[in-house]
Amino acid sequence: MGSSSFLGGKVQLLSDDDIRTIDRTSRSILAKTGIGVASEPFLEIFASAGADVQRNGRVRFPGRVIDDAIERTPKRVLLHGRGGTPPLDLGGKRVHLGTGGAAIRILDLKDGRARDPRLADLADIAWLVENLDNIHFFLRPVVARDVSPNSLDVCTFHTCLANTSKHVMGSAASPETAKDVIDLATLVAGGRESLSENPIISFITSWMISPLTLDTETCKVLMTVAEAGIPVALSSAPVAGSTAPATLSGLLAQAHAEQLSGIVLAQAIRRGAPILYGTVPAVADFHTMGYAGGAIESALLNAACAQLAHSIGVPIYSDAGLTDSKLPDIQAGYEKGMNILLLALAGGNYIHHSGGMLESMLTVAYEQYVIDNDINGMALRALRGITVSPETLAEEVIASVGPGGNYLTQQHTLSHIRTDEYFVPATADRQGRVAWEMAGSIDARERARGIAREILQRPRGEFIPSDVKRQIRNRFDPADCKA
Amino acid sequence: MIDAIKEAVLQGDRDKVVELTAAALEQGTEPKEILDQALTPAMDIVGEEYERGDRYVPEMLISAEAMKGAMAQLKPLLAAVGIEPLGRIVIGTVEGDLHDIGKDLVAMMLEGAGFEVTDLGVEVTAEGFVQAVREQQPGILAMSALLTTTMTNMPVVIDALKEAELRGKVRVIIGGAPVTQAYADQIGADGYAPDAASAVKLTKQLVSA
Repeated sequence: MGSSSFLGGKVQLLSDDDIRTIDRTSRSILAKTGIGVASEPFLEIFASAGADVQRNGRVRFPGRVIDDAIERTPKRVLLHGRGGTPPLDLGGKRVHLGTGGAAIRILDLKDGRARDPRLADLADIAWLVENLDNIHFFLRPVVARDVSPNSLDVCTFHTCLANTSKHVMGSAASPETAKDVIDLATLVAGGRESLSENPIISFITSWMISPLTLDTETCKVLMTVAEAGIPVALSSAPVAGSTAPATLSGLLAQAHAEQLSGIVLAQAIRRGAPILYGTVPAVADFHTMGYAGGAIESALLNAACAQLAHSIGVPIYSDAGLTDSKLPDIQAGYEKGMNILLLALAGGNYIHHSGGMLESMLTVAYEQYVIDNDINGMALRALRGITVSPETLAEEVIASVGPGGNYLTQQHTLSHIRTDEYFVPATADRQGRVAWEMAGSIDARERARGIAREILQRPRGEFIPSDVKRQIRNRFDPADCKA
Repeated sequence: MIDAIKEAVLQGDRDKVVELTAAALEQGTEPKEILDQALTPAMDIVGEEYERGDRYVPEMLISAEAMKGAMAQLKPLLAAVGIEPLGRIVIGTVEGDLHDIGKDLVAMMLEGAGFEVTDLGVEVTAEGFVQAVREQQPGILAMSALLTTTMTNMPVVIDALKEAELRGKVRVIIGGAPVTQAYADQIGADGYAPDAASAVKLTKQLVSA
């Protein structure tokens, strides 16, 4: 679908002055405090970019080094799917929504019990998402606990690519497994060149541990991916009150500084490397110090980060759709509804976690994907706003119906009720009470379960041709995916 | 004076606690009296307030920090008259895991509760943990992991302790976002706590058992 037609930027929490002030503060943080880098090769990379590198592992950044790196960064990144869907066109204020997470629990569709996710769940979720139009991309949502850690990355990417045609994003535990994943994607894409031109996969690297510390092991993965020319999201997740200042603007200043240092790193590794500004900010719950993904402040932070990324013109990876609830209940609904709508209106380019998530990032549920598909649909409808034109103003129709008539059977009515003018959520019930009672008095969660079951029973698509499957079998041992 | 020290701990005013403790010692107050009548009761109240939901974690930690200020003065005096800390604890994040905020929180709370804590820092190897247990003979070894990919290093440490014939001499407790009681049972740890306050309770139970 033409998902890039959804334009955000309609909500601007920060004024232009606020943005300038935050950017100036971030640059001052990078010039005075700098970041911690505990690895000789990465110190050299920063030095080669013109940063001020101290032997004790502290790296500081003059303003021109940052400006040069931003200059080199692509302002538009295309992430491809397969099978004729137009690519995700990241940049500007174009909005896309998709899944996220590396959840370690899943609510069983039969009994609702929380259990370990398996590789079969990953396949089922991918197929479910393939059939949900308002989820635009597939970021691997669960860690399959029945696969040995050594083969997890390849098995995860393979399962995703085999069960959905949507763009697949994931992570790699080491440079070696990143190379394996790139080899796998090369086979599926039909060659290395084809993969670079039409990246059907991309990576997340949690390259920075807030505050301001490089995770050098993950940076090796970042290096492998950037060198291969595959798009990569520079994910960092500062939490207000624990790994960032407790004030929201303080978090923004630190988060933006972290991102600017990452942009310098990525562009020093490979000039013109396609990257995504990757803030995943949140506030802490001060009773547990846990990550409060569903807090309204976390949503505000994400919306503000979108503005900061827009201000330097780099496409942004950020998140909405988190809730701290453990199940698809009212809390899950109001938290997700608010944060998805807010970030979509703010213009997040690549909004992940917007499908299936519960318990912040720890749990997913099948029916939640179906519910979130509706929340996403409502948010996207809000983005389309209200079209004002002679046709939609309908003055002629108003004249022909006149005072006291009705519009039920007007041709104008019939030609608009099945268009973009309306979005009808599949899980919402709008019947009268009697009809609802006759249908079993069930709630949205139960309706969503029914839809999920129906989709999972549909005959599955073949997303990897059989000759490619053979090549994959020759290169990777499929038995490795069974622990 | 005792009440003022207690109040300053509740307020989390470290400077004031240090100043008042020094003044109390000057006046001849017994170190044990300061510990038993001011510091420990203050931290008990802090713990109760936290459990009731009236105190946030940072408000609890700041009191623990204030208590540490007094303990630095009292510790040598208490040791001189043969009063030992509640117990000795070695703590660290497992190999491959740089995430230390949860571990730091637990360490601060344990110190605030009167334990002697040796913090080995981040990415501690199995050998590192074994060596610390051998040298320091702690009652408790505490391990933390944030990632599903690194928590698998916890059983490696437990195996290494067995290998070194130290497993029987130390209680092992674990924590971190992906860790559960079921996982603790599965790998043969002695305890699991979901948050820092519960970790203090668990530790107190284990050392008094």
